Amino acid sequence: MTRLTSIPGLPPLLACLGILVVWELLARWYGLNGLPPASQALPQIPHILSDKESLIDMGESLRRMAIGYGLALLIAVPIGLWMGRSRYAAAFFNPLMMVIYPVPKAALMPIIMLWLGVGDASKTLVIFLGVTLPLIYHSYQGSRAVEEKLLWSASAMGLGGFARLWRVVLPAALPEILVGCKTGLVLALITMVTSEMIARQAGIGNIVFVSLDLGAYDTVYAMIVIIGMLGILFDVGFEVLRRRLVGWADSPHTIMVGSA
Amino acid sequence: MIAIEGVSKRFDAARDRRHLALNDVTLSVAEGEFVSILGPSGCGKSTLLYIVGGFVEPTAGRVLVKDVPVRGPGPDRGPVFQEFALFPWKTVLGNVMYGLQQGGVPRAEALARSRELLTMVRLSAYENFYPKELSGGMKQRVAIARTLAYRPNILLMDEPFGALDAHTRTGLQNDLLHIWDKDRKTVLFVTHSVEEAVFLSDRVVMMSSAPGRIKQIFDIDLPRPRSRAELLLDRRFQDYVVEIEKMFDDTAQQAPA
Ligand SMILES: Nc1ncnc2c1ncn2[C@@H]1O[C@H](COP(=O)(O)OP(=O)(O)OP(=O)(O)O)[C@@H](O)[C@H]1O
Ligand SMILES: [Mg+2]
Repeated sequence: MTRLTSIPGLPPLLACLGILVVWELLARWYGLNGLPPASQALPQIPHILSDKESLIDMGESLRRMAIGYGLALLIAVPIGLWMGRSRYAAAFFNPLMMVIYPVPKAALMPIIMLWLGVGDASKTLVIFLGVTLPLIYHSYQGSRAVEEKLLWSASAMGLGGFARLWRVVLPAALPEILVGCKTGLVLALITMVTSEMIARQAGIGNIVFVSLDLGAYDTVYAMIVIIGMLGILFDVGFEVLRRRLVGWADSPHTIMVGSA
Repeated sequence: MIAIEGVSKRFDAARDRRHLALNDVTLSVAEGEFVSILGPSGCGKSTLLYIVGGFVEPTAGRVLVKDVPVRGPGPDRGPVFQEFALFPWKTVLGNVMYGLQQGGVPRAEALARSRELLTMVRLSAYENFYPKELSGGMKQRVAIARTLAYRPNILLMDEPFGALDAHTRTGLQNDLLHIWDKDRKTVLFVTHSVEEAVFLSDRVVMMSSAPGRIKQIFDIDLPRPRSRAELLLDRRFQDYVVEIEKMFDDTAQQAPA
């Protein structure tokens, strides 16, 4: 017998099918109002994806996510790399991180809304906060683990302190930084949706919760599936990028998702 | 060229783990001289090389290179580390070209010189491989080529042939001597092999351990250019090897386990 698991793409497909079947059966079995069967929710997806309003909403959400994530990259990676190479930087930032880490970033949303209102700025800031810590943490770990002799070799070739950080520490730490980026990507998606749940105005989260209020449960479930698909899409895209960037490194780490 | 003056190095890992790695080491190396350092494992050979390279600061004493005190690393002293320290994100060719491009050598010229060196270490076929795809001995050869590429005046080589099989090893010894004969760089060469030390060097420095210091220095008075096949039959070569090996055995026995 040929092994089914050896066919690429088949196991995840089977898993998805399995979930759909269980969903369908459960929905039919219990007949709850709040749990429409898959066969009823899924047809909403093309409907939502062809609706101009919802597409604009999603575009808005993704734009905020991209800005929050991009800002976090620009700020967190240098800080992390710096912490890994300087004992003073580590001593300064580490306690800060410890304090901020357990705080659920989306829970800060109401406070931030007091300062910045319900608009773009608050939501982007929350996404930024949600992504920053894993990025700093992994950049820090990666930078700390850079072999001393790599830096020595570089300084013997005449690279100064900043050039070493940019041209040796950064590439050497890149596999670990990308672990942080991947965790961050998932967290960005999560905080994006939650921020819109709290500050409803526009966006993917807004569609979900407005439909929920209206009792349009098939739309709610269709949106959840769309969010899940977005997650998968990001993940696949990220893997392609990762393989191109750090194909030279040894096998990838397993990813753990922290608190949002 | 290199003057090591009363250099000591103490590592204070913890209060109960102070370790005097080097104790009052004084050695001067003339321009164009090839000096090997022998000694039991842990006697401070690498540490001494790091201090000359400017990577590690001595606890006492100083190192002068061309009468200027060493304050840090520089391209005049090219290290080949025991651990290779190749840039894992660069290909073999990228590693060898790195120092040249850093030094502002035009790309075409850097490429030509790097390829020439890769041919010398017999790795031309691997120029597009990444370090993780190489064997230990191949990595070591890339590391040697990478350092030779930017033409340092002084080579600081820490067991550069340690991970090689006997055949490649003797081949590279010949190549190294050949290159060295052409431009007579100053070389500090750490090795565990007495035969290798005698074959390559003008002088062999024997160190003893805990604390690491110089025990004896042997002048190797053999004609150059040297050919391995001839030297193996040469009585003087054999005598040097036997004499130093005896001393090495004594030193190793005195060394605490
Ligand atoms: N960073 C460090 N911290 C504490 N102790 C160190 C450090 N580096 C070296 N030592 C100690 O200094 C001594 C000399 O080390 P070194 O690496 O110079 O020895 P070596 O002669 O090169 O040995 P080998 O032949 O095994 O390479 C050792 O006892 C080692 O434990
Ligand atoms: Mg050593």
